Amino acid sequence: MRLTGKTVVVTGASRGLGRATAVACAAEGADLALLDLCADLPGVPYPLGTAGQLEHTAALCRKAGSAVLTVRCDVRDLRSVEEAVALAEDRFGPLDGVVNNAGIAAPSGRPAHEIGEEEWALMIDVDLSGAWRMIRTVGKAMSARRSGSIVNIASTAGLVGYRHFAGYVAAKHGLIGLTKAAALDYAPRKVRVNAVCPGSVRDAPAAEGRMLAEIARALDVPVSEHEETFVTAQPMNALIEPEDVAAAVVYLLSDDARQVTGTTLTVDGGFTAR
Amino acid sequence: MPGAQCHAVRVSATGVGVRRLENRLAVAGPWRLWPDDVPATPAEPLAVRRREAELRRPVTRDVRCVLLRYADGTADLVVVAHRDRLDGPGLRHLTEVLTGERPPSPCPPPDVPRAETPPMAPAPDWGHGEPTATTHGSHHLDLPVPYVTTPASLRLPALALTLTRYDGHGSTGTATVGTDRTGALEYAVPASITLRDLATAEPTRVTRGVVAGILDEPEATPPLPVGTGAGPCERLPCLAPPFPLTFVFSPLPDGGTRLSCFFRAGHVSAAVAEGFTRHLGAVYRQSALAAGTAVADVELLDSDEQDRVARLGRPGAALASEPDTLPRAFARVAAATPDAVAVRDGEEELTYRELDERSARVAAGLRARGVRRGDRVGVCLERTAELVVTLLGVVRAGAAYVPTDPAYPVDRLAHTVSDAGLNVVVTRLAEFPRDGGVTLLRPDELADADGLWDVPGAAPDDPAYLIYTSGSTGRPKGVIVPHRNVVALIDATRDEYRLGPDDTWTLFHSAAFDFSVWEIWGCLLTGGRLVVVPYFVTRDPEDFRDLLLARQVTVLSQTPSAFSQLLQVDHARLPVRLVVFGGEPLDSRMLLPWFDRHPEHTCRMVNMFGITETTVHVTAQTVTRELALAGSRSVGPALPGWHLYVTDERGRLVPPGVTGEIRVGGAGVAAGYLDRPDLTAQRFVPDPYAQDPSARVYRSGDLGRLRPDGRLEHLGRIDSQVKIRGFRIELDEIRAVLLEDPAVAAAAVVVRRDDPADPATARLDAYVVPADGTAADPQGIRKRAAGILPEHMVPATVTPLDVLPLTTNGKLDPARLPVPVRSTASARPAPGPGGEGDIGLAEALREIWEAVLGTPVGLDDDFFELGGNSLFAVRVSAALRARGLPSLPLRDLYRTPTIRALTT
Repeated sequence: MRLTGKTVVVTGASRGLGRATAVACAAEGADLALLDLCADLPGVPYPLGTAGQLEHTAALCRKAGSAVLTVRCDVRDLRSVEEAVALAEDRFGPLDGVVNNAGIAAPSGRPAHEIGEEEWALMIDVDLSGAWRMIRTVGKAMSARRSGSIVNIASTAGLVGYRHFAGYVAAKHGLIGLTKAAALDYAPRKVRVNAVCPGSVRDAPAAEGRMLAEIARALDVPVSEHEETFVTAQPMNALIEPEDVAAAVVYLLSDDARQVTGTTLTVDGGFTAR
Repeated sequence: MPGAQCHAVRVSATGVGVRRLENRLAVAGPWRLWPDDVPATPAEPLAVRRREAELRRPVTRDVRCVLLRYADGTADLVVVAHRDRLDGPGLRHLTEVLTGERPPSPCPPPDVPRAETPPMAPAPDWGHGEPTATTHGSHHLDLPVPYVTTPASLRLPALALTLTRYDGHGSTGTATVGTDRTGALEYAVPASITLRDLATAEPTRVTRGVVAGILDEPEATPPLPVGTGAGPCERLPCLAPPFPLTFVFSPLPDGGTRLSCFFRAGHVSAAVAEGFTRHLGAVYRQSALAAGTAVADVELLDSDEQDRVARLGRPGAALASEPDTLPRAFARVAAATPDAVAVRDGEEELTYRELDERSARVAAGLRARGVRRGDRVGVCLERTAELVVTLLGVVRAGAAYVPTDPAYPVDRLAHTVSDAGLNVVVTRLAEFPRDGGVTLLRPDELADADGLWDVPGAAPDDPAYLIYTSGSTGRPKGVIVPHRNVVALIDATRDEYRLGPDDTWTLFHSAAFDFSVWEIWGCLLTGGRLVVVPYFVTRDPEDFRDLLLARQVTVLSQTPSAFSQLLQVDHARLPVRLVVFGGEPLDSRMLLPWFDRHPEHTCRMVNMFGITETTVHVTAQTVTRELALAGSRSVGPALPGWHLYVTDERGRLVPPGVTGEIRVGGAGVAAGYLDRPDLTAQRFVPDPYAQDPSARVYRSGDLGRLRPDGRLEHLGRIDSQVKIRGFRIELDEIRAVLLEDPAVAAAAVVVRRDDPADPATARLDAYVVPADGTAADPQGIRKRAAGILPEHMVPATVTPLDVLPLTTNGKLDPARLPVPVRSTASARPAPGPGGEGDIGLAEALREIWEAVLGTPVGLDDDFFELGGNSLFAVRVSAALRARGLPSLPLRDLYRTPTIRALTT
C-alpha cells in the first residue's frame, strides 16, 4: 500500500478517470476527499457527473477501506474551492495529494474562428483555471509542511494539436505549462507538481465515463463506431483503460516519485511517439 | 511530527444517533461531528483498519469527533484532540458528554501549561532502528505493581536508571529524560544510593536532546485503558511518540499498572523497544516493591532473559571435536599424505614424512637433554622450515614451546627466560642472553640425536605453548594454552572454510604472535602446504605479492594493517581463495578495492576477532561487498565451541545492543597465566551460564555489543577509551571516515597530549597514506572529514606518510608515528588595538574558527577564503552557543567575513 496514511483530494470524482483514480488511491490505503460539481453546466452540451455518481464513487472507496468525505465543489469559483479544501482539512488534517481531474471536453468540434467568447472562456475556466485555483488554495499549506504532491490530469491534447479542439488543446497545453511553472515554484519546498497525459481512454461502463463518446460526437463520428476509430489511431491497437491512467496518478502521488516533479507522464499507447 | 501533541479516545456509540450526538456536541464545544460509514462489521480487518486510522489521525490545533457506523448497526465514536485544547480530563469530559454519561456542559480547558517538547536525541547505538523509517510502533506490558498506591514520582528515576544501564560500559552515571510537562531533565544516578534515595533526587533542567521520556499529562481519574484495541473503550495517549521512546503508565482493571511504550522506528527496533519496556518495568517494580535496593543491585534481566541472552552468544552450530594433542592430530595427517609437501621455505621443501622424521629427531634430542613432559622449551628462531620442525619437535617431546622473536630486545628475551623458567632455548641467536644457566641449543645440534624417539607424549590438557602478551599495564605475562584448544580451533574451522590438502598457507607472522599458531597448525592439521615468508618479504608488499603468486598461496592470514599494504600493489592475479583477518579491528570498507578484483565467490574474506587467552580466534564474520559498503563493524558470531557474553562492570549480562565487556567461554579458554594466580583468578572467572561448574570465561577487557542476531560488534579496548574535552571518542570511527575518502588508502588516528599532565592539551592526530596516484592533500582530507564528523572528533592534524609503521606482529606501531608538524603559515596575530572591539569575543571566535576550519586564523582573514562554507558557519554558530555567546547570523558572516569586522 503506497498511500497509507495519506489524504488525497480528487476533483471531478463522480465518474470516469476521477472515479478510477479515487478507487485506485483507496486500494493503496489513502483516505479521500472527493469533490464534484454534481450539476450540469450551461454551455456544456452533455450531462456532467451527478451527486448519485459521486456517492457511488465514495461507496467504492469505503469498500476498499478508505475514510471518505464527499464535497460539492465548483472549480470555477475560488471560494467554493477554498471551502472544500478547508472542510477536507478539518476532517482529515493536512492534505498530502491533490488530483486536478475536473474538466470538460466540449463545447468543441469547430474551427477556432467559430468558437464563441463565452465558450472559449468556459473551457479555459474549467480545464485550466480550475487546476490553478486548487493549486492556489493548497500550495501554501503544502509548502509550509514541506510535503505534498499535485497531479494535473492533462491530455495528449496538451502535447499535440487536435483539429477542431482549439479551446481544449489550448487549455491542456496551458495546464502543462502551469504544471512546469508551479513545479519550479514549489520544488524548494518539496511539494511536487506533475501532469498525466492520457490518450484515448475507453468509456468503461464501471467508471461511467463518457469522454470518448463526447469527443466523437463533437467530431461527428457515429457513436457506434467511435471506439474503433480511436483504436486504429493508437500504436498499441488498444484503448487506454481508466485504471491505466489511475496507476500513473498513484505513482506520482506516492513517495516512489519523491524526486519526480514538473514532468508529464504520458499514458497513450504510443500515440505521441510518432 | 504531527500527532505527537494529540491524544485520542474511542468509545462505543451504538444506538445514540447522529442528531443526538450533534446536539450534545454543540454544548460541549464549537466542533462538528463527522459521520462515516464503514462497510464491514466491527471485527473485520477493514473495520479494524478504519478504526486504527481514525484513532491515529492527528488534528492540527483542535478537536475532531468521528462517528464510525459499522455494517451491523453498531457504532464507535473516535475523538482526537490537541493537548493544548483538551487535556486528559477535558477529553474524558467530552467523551462522557457525547455518550450521555455526563450532562452536556462545555469542556474545561487545560489547566497545566505544557513544556515545549525537548528536541530528539540522535538514534542511540543500542537502538538498532531503521534509520530511514518514519513510522512508529507501540508495546504494552502489564506489571503487578499497584497503580493507585505507587507514587508517580518513581517513574522518571526508574527511567533514568534504566537509561544509564543502556549507556553501557563507561556510563557517566547520569541520564537525560524528558516529560511533556517539564522538558529535559538530567538525573544523577550514583551506584551507591538506594532506589528510595533516587526517587527523591532532584533532577536538573537541561536543554538537550532526549531519547526517552514519560507522558506526564494529567489524565482523568481513573484514566481510560491504553491500547486495548478492543472492548468498549480505549485511549491513545499520543498519536506519535513525542520522545523517541515515550512511556505511559496507566491502571489495569485488576489494580495493576500497564506500562505502554510508543517508539519511533527510526530510533529503535520493535525488539529493542520491547526489551527496554521490560527492563524499565523491572526497575519500576523494584522501585515500588523493594525501595531499599541499592541502585547498583537493581537487575534489569530476569533469569529467563539472562538464559536467553546467554544463549544468544552461542553459535548455532556445535563443535564436533574430540580432545586431542597436536602430535597425534599431526600424525594422522602425516600418515594420510606422507609425500605431500608440508613446508616450503625458499627452495627447501619438506614432505609430511620428512617433517615427521625431523621433528621426531628434535623431540628425541630434547628428551636426551632432559626435557620431560610438562617442561617449557624456549624457541627463538627466524621464520624458517627449521622453526616449524622445532615447534613440532617440542610438542612431540611432551613439552610446551615458548616462542620469542629474534628481533626482540635482549631485555625482553631475558625476561621471558626467567619468567617462564626456561632451562632450554632452541636458537641460532648468538646474542641470546645466557643468564640463569639456560642451555642454548641450535636446531642442528638437536637433530643429530640418534634414532627415532617414540614414547607417549603430552595429554590433551597439557600446555602446547606459552605465548607472552604485553598488556597495557605491567610486564608481559605468559598465557598457557593446552593442546586441546588448538585442536578445537582447527576442528571449529576446518569444514566451514573447507581447509584441506589443496590449500597453500603462508607463515607470515612471528612465532611469538599467536596468529602464527593459526597459520602453522591450521595448515599442518588439515594437510596443507605451509609457505614460509621471510621477514623482509613480509615488509615489502611487492615481494610478498610475488611470493604469493610464485607459491600459489590460497589461504592468507593477515592483520588489516599488513593487508592494506598489499592492497597498494597490483594484486589482481593472486590465486587466494580465503583471507583471514586477525590481530586488529578491520574496517571492512578498505576491502572494496580487493572485491573489485576478487569477487566474493572466488575469495572469501573472513574477519576474526580473537584474543591470545582464548586461543587465537573467537568469532568469525564473512565480509561481503554488501557489509563492506555498509561499513559493518560486526565480527560475527562465536566459532563453534566458543561462546560470548557481554557484561557490565559487575559481570551481569547486559541487554543485546548495549555496550559492555566481552567475555569469552568455551573450547578456547586458556589454562591461565603462568605463575600469576591472582591475575588468572581475576581474568579467568567462573562461567555462571555453563552446565559444567568448573567452566571458566575470560574477561577480555575489550568492549563490545552483542547484536540481537547473535553477532558481536567489537568496539576496542576498555582501557584505551579516549576522552577529549569530556567527549567519548572512538578512534576507529574517525579512521573509518578518513578511509571513506577516495584520496586515502590507509589511515591511523592517535591521541596526543602536548603536555602529558594536562588533559586539555589532548588532540587527535591523523596519519594517512595517500591513494595511488593522488598527491597528498592533508588539508583537503581534513576538510572532508570535518564535513562528516562532529567537531570534537575532527583530527587537529593530518600527516601524510608513505607507509604506516607496523610492529613486528604486523599491527600499527603508534610509537613510530612522527610527531606532526603544525602549520605555522600565519603566526598568531595579536588582538587589535585596545578599545577597537570586543577582544574576548574576537579571541573566542578565532579559537572556534581555528577549530572548525582546522587552520590558523588571523583577525583579518576572510572566513570563506580560509575554506569556510555555510556548513562550517553553522558549526561556528553551534560552537558559539555552546560557549554561551550570541550566535552569528549567516548573512552577517557573508557581509563581514573577518573576525575584526564582526567584532567591531
